[in-house]
Amino acid sequence: MRRIVLPGEKVFDSPREVESCVKDANGTYATEVSVFYDDKVVPLKGVYVPHQGEGIIGIVSNLNFSGYVVDLNSPYPGRLSDQETMEDLQLGDVISVKVQVVTEVNECALIEPQRLSGGDILEVPAVKVPRIIGRNGSMLNTIKEFTGTDVLVGKNGRIYLRNGNVGLAAEAIMKICRESHTSGLTERVTAFLTQNR
Amino acid sequence: MTEKRELIRNGKRANGREDDELRPIKITVGVLDKAQGSCLLEWGKNMVLAGVYGPREVFPKRDVDARKAILVARYVMAPFSGVEGHGRAGPNRRSREISKVAGHVFENVVLTEKFPKTMIEVQMEVLQSDGGTRIAAITAGVLALADAGIPMKDLPCGSGVGTIDEDNKRMVLDLDKYEDNLGKSDIPTILSPRTGEILLYQMDGYLTKEQLLEGLDKVQSKAVPRLREEMARALKEKYGGMAENGGVEQ
Amino acid sequence: MILDEVKEKFIKGVMREGKRTDGRAFDEYRKISVDTEAFPNAEGGAWVKIGETQVAAGVKIDLSTPFPDQPDEGMLSVNAEFSPLAHPDFYPGPPKPESIELARVVDRGIRSAESIDLKKLFVKENKVLGVFIDLYVLNHSGNLIDAAALAAMAALNKARLPKIEDDKIVYGEYTGQLPIARSVVTTTFEKIEGQIILDANDHEEVASEARFTLGTGDGDKFASAQKSGNGGFTRGEFEYLLDTALEKGRELRKLV
Repeated sequence: MRRIVLPGEKVFDSPREVESCVKDANGTYATEVSVFYDDKVVPLKGVYVPHQGEGIIGIVSNLNFSGYVVDLNSPYPGRLSDQETMEDLQLGDVISVKVQVVTEVNECALIEPQRLSGGDILEVPAVKVPRIIGRNGSMLNTIKEFTGTDVLVGKNGRIYLRNGNVGLAAEAIMKICRESHTSGLTERVTAFLTQNR
Repeated sequence: MTEKRELIRNGKRANGREDDELRPIKITVGVLDKAQGSCLLEWGKNMVLAGVYGPREVFPKRDVDARKAILVARYVMAPFSGVEGHGRAGPNRRSREISKVAGHVFENVVLTEKFPKTMIEVQMEVLQSDGGTRIAAITAGVLALADAGIPMKDLPCGSGVGTIDEDNKRMVLDLDKYEDNLGKSDIPTILSPRTGEILLYQMDGYLTKEQLLEGLDKVQSKAVPRLREEMARALKEKYGGMAENGGVEQ
Repeated sequence: MILDEVKEKFIKGVMREGKRTDGRAFDEYRKISVDTEAFPNAEGGAWVKIGETQVAAGVKIDLSTPFPDQPDEGMLSVNAEFSPLAHPDFYPGPPKPESIELARVVDRGIRSAESIDLKKLFVKENKVLGVFIDLYVLNHSGNLIDAAALAAMAALNKARLPKIEDDKIVYGEYTGQLPIARSVVTTTFEKIEGQIILDANDHEEVASEARFTLGTGDGDKFASAQKSGNGGFTRGEFEYLLDTALEKGRELRKLV
């Protein structure tokens, strides 16, 4: 049974280490407006903070003498050394990239950049990404299948869409974001895609 | 000539409320599309619009803190917010002080260590005022923070409490503007409901220790539960309260 | 800002196909709502929404001394605040040129059209009533000027005159409505790669090379004009603006 919980609301009667929670002597409490189910607390909103190993989509926002500063749709910028890139990048270039390492102050170094072109960017809250991908990628595959669109989902909430019915793919993704806290979502999204194909 | 408004009529509060009764409260979150989180709060005739930006890059850069997010709270009153004459646009000494103590409430509950080197801004615009505006503004700010998905360990809330009779003995909750101007004392109070700790406390008046404790108990037992209910309703409204049964997607 | 360039490219791409990102026609306004009950403490008030853009206007009427060169006339003052609530780029501080421009453009429309007969605000020697309009930008999703002008006019049309006793204002008591002779609204156009659109959203404004605002009043006359931005307008384009402003102005004035 899913339930919406609020900051300061008790989710367990004893102190436990749980993501997106704090604890005191009397129990464990949610820290954000979240969905609580399966003993997990999943926030419904929030900014993206980079973590090691994550695949994300960035936009080159600045150049300095050793490389590039990349906007990650986050309060924290990423740095890409020009040793890592085969080609020269321009301001405004969209790249898929991986987080190599993150410092204590959440700044990160990026590797394996690949320039993306010919498509459109969609930005969604990073917390919605697991829902958009679905269990074992099932939700994402459904979208790709029905729309014929190449969909690249960055963990930072940036999504690159190219070819096929981009508009329909984008609408399906927005629908998932709006209804991410409910269940039965896969069926509804599949129905939506079928109707509007 | 306008007669002096009386605060007590036939033994009851002139505005018709019980001693422990709060004014009607109406809350909506997510009303602005640019701010990360926002809240429109109407408390009696007060109307406050709060918005949150952040965590984001610090500006000006020299204020950056490598260990945590800096929290900037701004309380401002619109020149058309009061019934009296045209006010000045922008902050004055009173609003600067309120901005400071409001910031202390937010700083206590927001988990700022999760976002070092960033800034979280809470802007509170008082569009209409009728007494108890700082409580209304801080409540709206807390809800805007929750709406923005900024992690907090609690949702602070409270109300004003004070004496309105000539003998300085009768304590009532949530004084409106007339009760505040013509009454004997007003104590805006905000607590962290989970721990019961006092996060905001200011006082105008001359009262005994027993009275201060009486006031605190009233806020804790009568105002806080009512506020928690309203705040929970507003935050859950967007999500239909309960998400239905069904298979897990993850 | 780099992200602005990304937005600009996207908008221009869509417009080259003759479309707008939200599916509107080039001369179509977003959904408009006007609430004149929002600010009862003010003498007059209005909360206007055009799409996601939100602007509030409050009218306060107070006793004032007249300008020395107009001793028998009341005062009109229009001020604009761009609240930090409204956009990530808005910070507190002295008014930016955009906010000063907005206030002055709205002011000129009301003043030139003589919406308020300032002579009717004379109280006695050296005492007049001052009408103070405060425009509060609460959310910036484009076209702040039209929203602000609409809010100011709607607030004025509902404004009440405060009661005066013994040369002092009795706050909270009123003696009738502020006399308004005619209504004025504005219509703002943006030019993007030779194409002209009405009621731009904030992304479209980023892509714009020039802007033209025209204020129109009852009787199909123009009360104000302001061209902004580095680009230019041809005479043919100008005629289109004049005709469209008159047409749209008539529709907008029905809302105030």
